[in-house]
Amino acid sequence: MIDIRSSIACNLDSHILRAALPLFADEKVGAIEWSFDALINQRSMPDWFGELLRTYSEAGCLVGHGVFYSLFSGRWTGAQQQWLDQLRSLSRTYRFDHVTEHFGFMTGADFHKGAPMSIPFTESTLAIGRDRLVRLQDACRCPVGLENLAFAYTIDEVNRHGAFLSQLIEPVNGFIILDLHNLYCQSRNFGVEPDALLSLYPLYRVREIHLSGGSWAPSAVEPGRTIRRDTHDDAVPADVFRLLKQAIDLCPNLRYVVLEQLGAGLQTDGQQSQFQQDFLWMDHIVQTANQIRNSLINHSFLPRRFHVPDSSPLEDPLLYAQQLELSDILETSVSCAQAQQRLAGSGLARSNWAVETWQPAMLETALAIAQKWKNGFD
Amino acid sequence: MKISKPILQAMALAVAVTTVGSSCKDGLVKPKKEEAKKEQQRKLPDNCPACGMG
Repeated sequence: MIDIRSSIACNLDSHILRAALPLFADEKVGAIEWSFDALINQRSMPDWFGELLRTYSEAGCLVGHGVFYSLFSGRWTGAQQQWLDQLRSLSRTYRFDHVTEHFGFMTGADFHKGAPMSIPFTESTLAIGRDRLVRLQDACRCPVGLENLAFAYTIDEVNRHGAFLSQLIEPVNGFIILDLHNLYCQSRNFGVEPDALLSLYPLYRVREIHLSGGSWAPSAVEPGRTIRRDTHDDAVPADVFRLLKQAIDLCPNLRYVVLEQLGAGLQTDGQQSQFQQDFLWMDHIVQTANQIRNSLINHSFLPRRFHVPDSSPLEDPLLYAQQLELSDILETSVSCAQAQQRLAGSGLARSNWAVETWQPAMLETALAIAQKWKNGFD
Repeated sequence: MKISKPILQAMALAVAVTTVGSSCKDGLVKPKKEEAKKEQQRKLPDNCPACGMG
């Protein structure tokens, strides 16, 4: 029987591990999701963490979640090839039940810096995304998927995101991670009912669901408005649990429900206790769904045959130039007004990026995100 | 899922003696006490963002 597994995003972080330890001891954690590329120095991994990964790997309950592949970069870089080589090597050490990445391109100057930001939904970005997914699957030789992004500049992006994800994963017969907190952010930031957003996604393609918390940021350019951000530093909101109850029965191919939280939000005993309570409530919802679930449904999300990547990775020099320009504007503008002015005079003006339609409060948020992560973890 | 006792014990020891945590920097969870003590002298870095980059 294919059950949904209650899972934890488990990285080598003392706060996360301290919070999760009682759940591991009570045999509650059905699977772990490991951000394999967040660990710069693989040789620094303690033996016991490797053994933990191996335990889940051997049970077929280890999933990989990349952060830094930068799927939509207009230029193919050596760092991306190195990322794939590392994944190929890790996939020989551990058996990933599937591997996923984020939607977007990384704003940072190099790997391990920057944050994923959205791109225009065009034929060019579709082709680049498909090319990168084929390479990803060629490296890990297992099902691959993409996660919906929390951030959007406009309601139009929100409305088209699910369909574009669906087009991207089609050649690799891939799947979607439906991050419910990301959906919640979009719902609150753009005034759309969560039900309406759910209906925009091909839910039969959802193999994994993410749950997390976040924070509210007041907007300076739109006084009185607060923006919901996917900062993973607080408990899971009740609305997101309600969304899980609703979504779980609508996703027949769901295999994993993953609780994510940053170690920075798990420093006190109270925060760690809240994390454990959130996990147990999530597990209750999952186990309830498992009791009434049709166990005969089991979509492999593997292609009929693995594609051989083209020897020349697809590139779009204009897109890359625009991404560089946008990254610089987001990382160095001192105000939203300055960013708007610079965008108006940039190569992104009157282009597929539709910068003229970007909501000021969301541009302000993009500045905050890009500037928060421009130096990586330093 | 059942995790073996030695793994759980090693994990418990590591998190008990480590105050610095990051999956991205060299301030990793350390399996040994002396390494963990050295880490305590360092500045607490931002944790690995995983996908909490919003």
